[in-house]
Order: sequence, then C-alpha cells, then structure tokens
Amino acid sequence: MIFATIADVTLRALLGRRRTILMLLLAGVPVLLGLLVRANGDGVRDVAATLDGIVIRVVLPLVALVFGTAALGSELEDGTAVHILTKPVRRSTIVLAKILVAGTLAAAMLVPSTILAGVLLGRPGQLGVTFALAIGVLVGSYLYVAIFVALSVATSRGLIIGLGYALVWEGVLAGLLPGSQVFSVREYVRGIADILNPAAADSIVGAGAVLYAAVALVAATAIASVRLAAYEIRGSD
Amino acid sequence: MSPQSFAPLPTADAPAGSPTAALVLEGVSRWYGNVVAVNDITFALGSGVTGLLGPNGAGKTTILHMLAGLLRPSAGRVSVGGQPAWRNPAIYRFVGLVPEREAVQGFLTGRAFVELAARLQSLADPAAAAARAIATVDLEAAADRPVGTYSKGMRQRVKIAAALVHEPSILLLDEPFNGMDPRQRIHMIALLRSMADAGRAILFSSHILEEVERLADGVLVIHAGRLAAAGDFREIRRLMTDRPHTFVVRSSDDRRLAAAFMTEPAVFGTELRDSRLTVRVAEFGGFTRAVARVARDAGVSLFEVAPTDDSLESVFAYLVSRR
Repeated sequence: MIFATIADVTLRALLGRRRTILMLLLAGVPVLLGLLVRANGDGVRDVAATLDGIVIRVVLPLVALVFGTAALGSELEDGTAVHILTKPVRRSTIVLAKILVAGTLAAAMLVPSTILAGVLLGRPGQLGVTFALAIGVLVGSYLYVAIFVALSVATSRGLIIGLGYALVWEGVLAGLLPGSQVFSVREYVRGIADILNPAAADSIVGAGAVLYAAVALVAATAIASVRLAAYEIRGSD
Repeated sequence: MSPQSFAPLPTADAPAGSPTAALVLEGVSRWYGNVVAVNDITFALGSGVTGLLGPNGAGKTTILHMLAGLLRPSAGRVSVGGQPAWRNPAIYRFVGLVPEREAVQGFLTGRAFVELAARLQSLADPAAAAARAIATVDLEAAADRPVGTYSKGMRQRVKIAAALVHEPSILLLDEPFNGMDPRQRIHMIALLRSMADAGRAILFSSHILEEVERLADGVLVIHAGRLAAAGDFREIRRLMTDRPHTFVVRSSDDRRLAAAFMTEPAVFGTELRDSRLTVRVAEFGGFTRAVARVARDAGVSLFEVAPTDDSLESVFAYLVSRR
C-alpha cells in the first residue's frame, strides 16, 4: 500500500512533460540511426558493436542518470521529499519504490529502442544478438538507476558526479585500465548479453556479470537507504 | 466558519513517560561548519500552544527541524513524545510538521496531496481522513484544483491539512501565518487553540510579536541561536517593556523640559544636541506615564515623543544581554 502510493506519486512526478519528451528523443536516437542505415543499405555487419557503442555506452547511462537523479534527488533538493520523509515509512521502502519506478521508466524507453534499433540495423539472423543485448539493457536500466539514486541521496551534486561517472569512467577509463571492468556497469550489461548469446558481446567478466550486477544493485539500494535514514534537510536558518 | 473542535486525546495516545514534556531539548546545539545556528538550548514543553519567537535567522527553523527529526543535533538531546527525534521515523505517527518552504508537488490536487499524507500514515480510510482535514482548514472549495494554482495562503493551509490528517498529538509549524490574510489567520488561530485545548502540544515559530501574543500560552524567545527568554507571555511582555529605553522628544522648549526630566526617578539622563532632546529612561512604562505630567508642570508643549530603539531586534538583543 505505502509502496504503491510512493511509486504512484513518483511516476507522476517523473512524467513531467518536458523531461519525458527529451528522454524519448534520446532513446529514439538509436532507432533513428537504424532507419538511416536501413534507408541506405541492408544493415551493418556487427550489430552488437553498434548497439554497444550507441545504446549501452551513451543512451542507457544518460537516460538512467536523468530518471535516477530526478526520482529522489530533485525532491530532496526542492523540499517536496519532506512530506514523504516525515511519515512513519521505512526509508528502504522509499528507496525501493523510487528505484523501481525510475528503473521501469528507463527500461520502458530503452528496451524497445534497443530491439527496434537492432532489428533495423542488423541483418536477418542477428535477432538473437539484439534480444540478448536488450535483456542486458533491461538489467542495466535498474542498476544504473539504483546507483544514481544512491548518488543523489549521498550528495547534492548527483547529476554532475553521475555524468562524470557515466562518461569518464564507463566511457573511457574502464575501457583502458585492465581489471577495472569489474567495476563497470557497462561490462555487467555486456556480460549478461554474453551469457545469453556469446555473439552479443565478448565480455571479460563473463558469467560473473550476474553476480556483480546483483551485488551492485543490493549495495546501491542499501547505501541509498542508509543515507536517506540519516538525511539532513538543507536550508535551515 | 467555526473550526472543527478536536476531541480530547485518549490517554493511550499520550507520549510514553511524562505527558507534560512532549517536546524536549537538553543542552542542544547545532552548527554548520563553524557557524553556530543553535547554541546550548534547553527547554521542555507540554500540551498547549508555545510560540517560538525571534527575528529571521535566529535559529527557529533549525530548532523545529531538529524536533522533526530532519536535522541531527551537533550536541545535546532532542526528544519528542519521550522518543529520540533523530533517525526515528516512528515519531511521525504522532508528530505533524508544517514546513515553511513552499514545497508541494504542484501537479497534485489539494485533495490528492492530503490523501497522499493519509496513505503514508496507513490510515484506515485515507479519503475520509483527507476530507476531514481539508474541511478543518476551510479549503473544500479549492480541494480539487492542482496545488500549483494555489495562492501562498492556500498552499500554507493545504500543508497544514496534510500535517493534521493523522490527528497528531504534537504539531510543529514553521511560520504558519506567512501569506495568510487576516480572515484565514483568525480561523487558523482558532483552530490551533481548539487543538491545544484538546491536549495537543503545538509549537509554532514566528517573527511577529502580535501573532505569538494572540495565540500562544507560553513563549520561547530565540535570538542569535540562544534562548533569550522562556515562559508566560505576559512575563516576557513585561521584561520587554521594563528594559531601558531612549526617547527623542520635540517640544516648545527642549531646554526647560530637559531640566524638568532630570528630577524624575525614571530618567537616567538627558542630552540636548543639534536642537534634539534625547532622554534615556530606566523603564518604558514609567516614563510614558510621567512624560505628559512633567511637560505640563514645566509649562512646555510636547510635539513628539518617539522611542528610538523599539525594533524587535533590539528587544531580543536586550533579552539576551540580561541573561
């Protein structure tokens, strides 16, 4: 009951018109690209690499970042969260509802976008690769959102730090430093796709991806709950 | 428009331990970095209405936020209803908070906003509880409009309705009268009085003396993070008027009037400079009663008698200095 109440009001807050349109546009970029490729030829040779480069590397973290930091962080920032915080509600319930709603919203945009783009970009016979990556994106949506929710509770600069993490760490460093992939959500996403279809990705974390992703999801949720329980309101005189 | 009267609280609802100390601060300080917002404050409040009076920036909001469990005290103990306030969401079953900042999801209707609070309180019938609370603050006509379209006073009232929806035994309000028109103010004062008479403990902050005087049984005066005075309002009022004052007097013969004042026991000294007569007095009331008689006896016409430092700020500074 309480969970559903928080989820409901979170969903309505997140579906603010401008943000939703912007995110739909962003999630639509891979589809647009697929349409362009399809209009001028018969698809790319390696659909997995293309989807990895566009969806998993850029679009997934950005959409998850926007929903993840908006779900709780912006409510803490503008003070509306006070109305939920001053209720006899377990802090973990609040955090879980926020992650579920923001993650579902991100996945609802990103999974269809991945599948559509994969179908448009790929050649016949590559559908299995596309679906494997789409499942990876589904898990990645919730995982990224959980991390960004935790970040936005822990710091008032969640958006900036999250952007730095997504672009600098995931985009550049985690690809360069050997071993650092173990701490990269992108690698977990690729690893899960790898398990489902070896042609989808060549991930070094492999089967461990599921375990790493589960640990990261639980850890992010726990950190967000603990930080929210000790949350101090800003702007007292 | 008679406000709903509240039934007396059943004893089971009374906070554990002493029911006369619903809100307790013991040696509480709060600092931000090296700025001290609240400095070693101790008080215990029972049922009834208490005004937290002080100028803006005195630390009133910090105190309310600590009582509401939204800020950790840097030192000391804060408890509500016999339980620690910090990191204890269980207190919200019997505490209601009306924050000052206008932070309400604008897309919700007033009714949806109050129902949200009722659901989060796990009330048996959220819709009925919300309807009751909305009626209590006299907001039925606008209840189905989005909060984003509300005036400041309406937003204030919808926040109060949300804080009242579970009929808390302790109510904390931060500057509740800001943005209300006089009619709403009178209604709200009557409502809070009736809640207090039913045995609830109500603490509200204000920087306006008259608001506190009209509503509060007791008063806590806060200045620069310190408790400047605490107790019965009449007592505080007397302290405020008995303090030394300085008056500027204009008259038909300032020099003669100055000499006449010097024989008055209430007068410390007079000063005549640049054709301006300044009179320092020991006590506000005594001087204001004597001034007309002294002038008449001296055969001087008074044009103007004006206190020079009667801002609330100087009153607070005086109260702090005498502790």
